[in-house]
Amino acid sequence: MPNDKLLFGRRHYAKLGLAGLAGATVASLPGLRPARAAESMDALIAAAKKEGKLNVITLPRDWANYGALMDKFTAKYGIAIDDANPDGSSAQELQAVRSLKGQNRAPDALDIGPSFASIGVKQNLFSPYKVATWDSIPDGMKDPSGLWVADYFGVVSIASNTNVVKTAPRSWADLKKPAYKGMIALNGSPLGAGAAFAAVFAASLGNGGSYDDIAPGVHYFAELAKLGNLNPAAATGPALLVSGQAPIVINWDYLSLGYRDAAVGKATIEVVVPEGSQPYGSFYCQAIPADAPHPNAAKLWQEWLYSDEGQLLFLAGYAHPARYADLAKRNLIPADLAAKLPPAGPYSQVKFATQEQVAKAQKTLAELWPKLVHI
Amino acid sequence: MSATIAAAAEPEAKLAANAPAPRPRPAHGARTRLSAFNWVVIALAAAYFLVPLIMTGIFSFWEGGNRYGFSAYIAMLSTPGFWTSLFLSVRLAIETIILSFALLVPAMIFVHLKAPKLKPLFEFISNLPFVIPAIALIDGLTTLYTGPSWLISTPNYLVIPYFFLALPYAYRSLEVGLTTLDVQTLTEAGQSLGAGWGEIIFYLLLPNLRTALIGAVLLILTTVIGEFTFASVLLFHTFAVFINDTGQNAITEAAALSLFAFLLTWLLMLGVLLTGRKNAATVGGAH
Amino acid sequence: MSQTGQTASSAPTTFGGASAPRSAGSGGFGALVGRAIPWFFVVLFLVFVLAFLIAPTLVLVVKTFTGDHGFTLSYLTGLWDYQYRIAFQNSIILGLASAFTGLIGGFFIAYTSLQPGAPAWLRSIITSFAAVAANFAGVPLAFAFISTLGSLGFVTIMLKHIGVDIYAMGFSLYSLTGMTVTFAYFQIPLMLIIITPAIQGLRLQWREASEGLGATSWQYWRLVGLPILTPSLLGGFLLLFGSAFSAYATPYALTDGNIALVTIDISNVLSGNVMSDPQVGAALSTGMILVMTVVLAIYSIVSRYSARWRR
Repeated sequence: MPNDKLLFGRRHYAKLGLAGLAGATVASLPGLRPARAAESMDALIAAAKKEGKLNVITLPRDWANYGALMDKFTAKYGIAIDDANPDGSSAQELQAVRSLKGQNRAPDALDIGPSFASIGVKQNLFSPYKVATWDSIPDGMKDPSGLWVADYFGVVSIASNTNVVKTAPRSWADLKKPAYKGMIALNGSPLGAGAAFAAVFAASLGNGGSYDDIAPGVHYFAELAKLGNLNPAAATGPALLVSGQAPIVINWDYLSLGYRDAAVGKATIEVVVPEGSQPYGSFYCQAIPADAPHPNAAKLWQEWLYSDEGQLLFLAGYAHPARYADLAKRNLIPADLAAKLPPAGPYSQVKFATQEQVAKAQKTLAELWPKLVHI
Repeated sequence: MSATIAAAAEPEAKLAANAPAPRPRPAHGARTRLSAFNWVVIALAAAYFLVPLIMTGIFSFWEGGNRYGFSAYIAMLSTPGFWTSLFLSVRLAIETIILSFALLVPAMIFVHLKAPKLKPLFEFISNLPFVIPAIALIDGLTTLYTGPSWLISTPNYLVIPYFFLALPYAYRSLEVGLTTLDVQTLTEAGQSLGAGWGEIIFYLLLPNLRTALIGAVLLILTTVIGEFTFASVLLFHTFAVFINDTGQNAITEAAALSLFAFLLTWLLMLGVLLTGRKNAATVGGAH
Repeated sequence: MSQTGQTASSAPTTFGGASAPRSAGSGGFGALVGRAIPWFFVVLFLVFVLAFLIAPTLVLVVKTFTGDHGFTLSYLTGLWDYQYRIAFQNSIILGLASAFTGLIGGFFIAYTSLQPGAPAWLRSIITSFAAVAANFAGVPLAFAFISTLGSLGFVTIMLKHIGVDIYAMGFSLYSLTGMTVTFAYFQIPLMLIIITPAIQGLRLQWREASEGLGATSWQYWRLVGLPILTPSLLGGFLLLFGSAFSAYATPYALTDGNIALVTIDISNVLSGNVMSDPQVGAALSTGMILVMTVVLAIYSIVSRYSARWRR
């Protein structure tokens, strides 16, 4: 619009220039970059392709279908993915961001627990980004300024190897039966493993506790231990469940269902959300580190994860995606996929504990568990 | 010291003739076979050490229900990460051995010779790696050292924590060897013959420390190949990391991997031992 | 035995061109370098340790005493809380128990394999196996023992078939006892490797001499064998204790927090998925350092006492 320029004087341009300079300065200060709405996809794809690589961390291939998500991303955009430390923890992800700062191996995208997302925000480790489908994500599952956003959630379930266990337990009361002596394992220590912590919280909800009170859950497991039903081995993979050494494992539903599918031919696994009690769920959060070596690839990865196709891939991995309600409303969930999933009832009733409730529960757990739970 | 013992041993035959009571069993050095009790000990030890391995082996052949086969092994050998991670671990082990010997052996020899007062300090240092948890050491290392990138970003960076991980074992092995060997006398003998430090170390001391050195090599080798924590936190794909990652999805493959790693390292050890030893050593042999 | 007419000036060229300090110098610089070489290597080692082990640890200790408002002792005194006290207690008990098992088992197997009558192939197999088993730890070891002695393990079930229910009798692979049994898998081989050179140093002539003088086997051991071996036995015991005290992967796979241990607590707060507390982690690490220092002090007192006959 060459003619419009003549309508403004030099002072106006000076002001524009200053504003631009200020904006650029603010934009270049780490952590203070303003959140942008999702850029045009083509520009993003081109920029990401130029970076050529994406570093992800702690994404096991059989966790929430990440294997398929990574493969399809590479196939679609031609960007290679390096998946480091698939078995790592959220704390290790933040540690990697800190210790690998400035290196080409530093992680570009994080998938961390909500308490760690809060820590990352406090330590200014993330840069904000809002995906194109931002508005269809429920409010309780995203940071208002875009520093983190929930990608999928799961609920606590009971997985049983029915080759070893003749009748699968279906409720918290069932687990106390003497037939299950030495059979029930957790996915690690509740003080260190998210799934085990959730199991205790879920047990609490099913035995008179609430989101503000995890103590009944600890007492429940103390009783299981005294009865001899609790098996202290850490079922951090499918080995103990499928081999039958610990034929009942209380774990995230998406993990158990994944193990069920992978064990076809080796063992029959049945997965049940505990009946007669409020289901306990938790979500994991996506975040982009502020110093990511491939920031555009990271943003494209997020766009991919939150697209309809990406969210449905999560669902195919039995992890209920953050935009589940939106997808269901628009009838986008294929019937055959819906058939393989557990009944939708518990998922519509799931509620998430707030950060304060989780922090309080952690403290109670750390005090009570070493005192009370002994086999 | 040796002169008096030798003098005592000489008239043994005479003394034996005058011994108060005849000895029912042969003299210690004359025994050519192990007693039954010895074999019982060995059998019990074998049972304890082999049964868990056999269980792992049985599981690695399991294909579900009552079927057993080699599918886990075939899958394991054809996974791309298998060979690269194995070679990386072996390479790191060799680098660690070189670094350990270069730093530790001369220092310890000289402490024994020149500065015995420093020995408690060395003892203390050799036990420090147990005291400092891996996670904490990584935290400290990465805070302090952020470059140069040719070191920090490559797996060779792992050699530094691996040196310390193997330090207690390597130190103890060398220490026992040096204590048993009379370093002072040997060195003085060599010096009185006009040898320089290089000759003393390479021609006098090291050959006599062969058992201890081999022990140190074995310990360092297996420590590095089996190490998991540092490699996984620093995001390097070593063999132990590969085994662990496999265990998260393919459980029989993971069992096959563990067994394979065990047997492979065992064969390596046997090889090192058999080539490093000329004559069998016994209780009472010189070395 | 001494060579006549040998002086340093006619000494053959040696490694590095430096002559031993005792010889009459073939030049002041040569003697100086010869004298400096030992100290160079000692200092090099110490500098390496300082830079890559001590310095990062100091970072840790500083963190222990740094609260949100500066210097604080609260994290250190917080170690007296029940949950951490019991962790230290368990870790120490586990360390001592598995060190003892390793000591006894390792010594007996080493001694057996080093008898003059033992076949050479036996010795090679045992030593090579020991080297590998000494590092077979973590999830593979835990899984191997779970499938052997776990509540549904092979040996457990076999024993149940013949009427012996070890779990009903109180045994559990997941108790401190069970963990000691599991730890023995790498503790015994470790002791074996450490003690082998020392046993080989027991001269055959000494045994023959003592028998010739009329000593019984027991007297030989009490008066000759054990006193000579004691320093190495003690050193090995210390090593085994440290190895068990700082073990992490194996006990984690065997206890879901059922038995509190210091290393597991540290990983929970530093690299877990539930909570994150770097200062508590640093305090626990400092606590570990304190325990090991005490153990080291006891060791050095006892070993000085036991080695006094050597001076």
